Amino acid sequence: MTGRRGMRRSTVPFAGICMLLLIGCSPAERTGHAGTAEDPWIIGMSQCNLGEPWRVQMDADVRAAAAEHANLRVIFKDAQNESLTQRAQVEEFVEQGVDLIIISPKEAAPLTRPVAEAYQRGIPVIVLDRAVQGDQFTTFIGADNVKIGREAGRWIREQLGGSGRLVELKGLMTSVPGQDRNRGFLEGLQLEENTGLQIVFSGEMKWLEPDARREMESALATNAAIDVVYAHNDPGAHGAWLAARAAGRENEMMFVGIDALPHEGQQYVRQGILDATFLYPTGGAEAIEVALAILRGEEVPKHIVLGTRLFTQENIGRGGDPIP
Amino acid sequence: MRKPWREQLSRWWAMPVTRALLAFLLMLAIGCLFNADGAFFRWSVHRDTMRQVSVYGILACGMTVVIITAGIDLSVSSLLALAAVLFAWFTLPHGWPAILAIPLVFLAGTVLGSVSGALVAQLGIQPFIVTLAMMVFARGLAKVISGGQKVTNYVTDTDGSTRLIEHPPIYEMIDSRILGGNISIVTIVFLLCVLVTSTVLAHLRLGRHIYAVGGNKEGARLSGVPVKRTLIAAYALSGFFSAVAGICQAAQETHGDPETGMAYELDAIAMVVIGGTTLAGGKGSVVLTLIGVLTIGYLQKILSLNAAPEATRLMLTGAIIICAVWFQRGRKSARSKPK
Repeated sequence: MTGRRGMRRSTVPFAGICMLLLIGCSPAERTGHAGTAEDPWIIGMSQCNLGEPWRVQMDADVRAAAAEHANLRVIFKDAQNESLTQRAQVEEFVEQGVDLIIISPKEAAPLTRPVAEAYQRGIPVIVLDRAVQGDQFTTFIGADNVKIGREAGRWIREQLGGSGRLVELKGLMTSVPGQDRNRGFLEGLQLEENTGLQIVFSGEMKWLEPDARREMESALATNAAIDVVYAHNDPGAHGAWLAARAAGRENEMMFVGIDALPHEGQQYVRQGILDATFLYPTGGAEAIEVALAILRGEEVPKHIVLGTRLFTQENIGRGGDPIP
Repeated sequence: MRKPWREQLSRWWAMPVTRALLAFLLMLAIGCLFNADGAFFRWSVHRDTMRQVSVYGILACGMTVVIITAGIDLSVSSLLALAAVLFAWFTLPHGWPAILAIPLVFLAGTVLGSVSGALVAQLGIQPFIVTLAMMVFARGLAKVISGGQKVTNYVTDTDGSTRLIEHPPIYEMIDSRILGGNISIVTIVFLLCVLVTSTVLAHLRLGRHIYAVGGNKEGARLSGVPVKRTLIAAYALSGFFSAVAGICQAAQETHGDPETGMAYELDAIAMVVIGGTTLAGGKGSVVLTLIGVLTIGYLQKILSLNAAPEATRLMLTGAIIICAVWFQRGRKSARSKPK
């Protein structure tokens, strides 16, 4: 009896796996689609992690841009922050015979090889936001955090007219975006020429709103006057504003953030919480444009650096102003 | 011959609460030393410290109860996020009144907590595993409900159009201060949670059962303690407190973030342990936890006031947890040589 029960227990999952395999192994279709409405080009999009709103936005941008082209179909995959899952996704896209791969890789090293292999098999690969090593890909599209930080620093310097007391709420200084947004900011401020500008407090808020609020409370407690708060992301700037409001000092200073997600930073500007935010573009829409160019056989640059956009209360109504 | 006052002193010294208090006073002394140009001597700094630590403290209340049963609850941070999302979802896009939303959120937290408790009690699965599973599940549920985005006052209507709405007054109410602006409402909520936990543990029969189950499960069963019901009640209480913390978190952030509260369970455990409640179960109290919460809260505040870099903070926090627990453990040997 026990034997039969044991067999039954193991046969059920086994049959399940067989069925999944059967479904999964439907023969790899024809390669090279015509790019018409009847036989659309198929693009595989591998996103490293949909846990972050910014990456959700990237997928949304890709989806919206692709929806405007009837001759295009996009398959979305989420690697859930696992490099090896993402590697498997790239391999799956190759096996499926997609016409082009867009990947926003989690890390450079583990994904360099699968991307290179896909590229060598003649499938164009667009690498979005984070890079892979070497040159075995079609094109890289990404934003430049140093440049965005520099624009923020310059805007703040101009607003203050060369003198003022600043608070910097840093992301994570062990992360490259945190380092870049800090470095660019300092470059944009030009502290050597503008000796009146002074960073009176700088704290690490790990990109998190509650932590930003705590750091800002410390900044408020140790400084009687603050002119500008620069946070490395919009949730950080929002947390700082909440702290200042709780202290009744939110009108004393300006709040500047980065990222400008439509549902987040842009809304904060619209509500008058932030004075400015700088777009960290996802490149989703650009990726589709570049993908179409590649599929039509046009030449595209190897590296495309995206510009940013400045949103202030004065220009938010017209969708911000581009900074190329 | 020993003098009576020395005996008295050595008895005090042997009490966990004395040691916990001493660690806390030491922390305050460090704050006075590194006072960031006098900022540490202003009441507003202490008020903000207590506000900041309140959400962690509320979680630590439930954690204390579970740890006394010799269990652990890793799901508190995810239940907090779920509660925050639910609260924002009910009150912002749905526009339900707080009087309806709050009990529903409490209910959700309590139910999920008792599910963990039931799995521990009925199926005998280890608490670490049950609550680890609940932690993952609740975080997923929070993401499903919120659609992976923050639930804010920027709402999308059914026809796809978007609009901004005013936050209901409950948000402002929870994130405000009373007594001339000298104490935050969330701190009051935290203290109420401490009071509730203390009442349960010290004055109700349930409390006696909780200690009995944690001290010796088999012995408790033999002496007629309803072990299973007690365990379920303990985890349900923890789930309830997570829901309270989630509402406080959402009100303070002015939105429901499914990613909020990551790893708060570890802070809550650290606070309980620093207070002197041991992970072995059967011993401890929420008053100790209160002191532990304040000790860690002040440590974070002092590091923040002095703008210590993140790496230093992590190392110091780790070192201080070890020191504080070691300090607690030293009480046996200290009894033989009172100062």
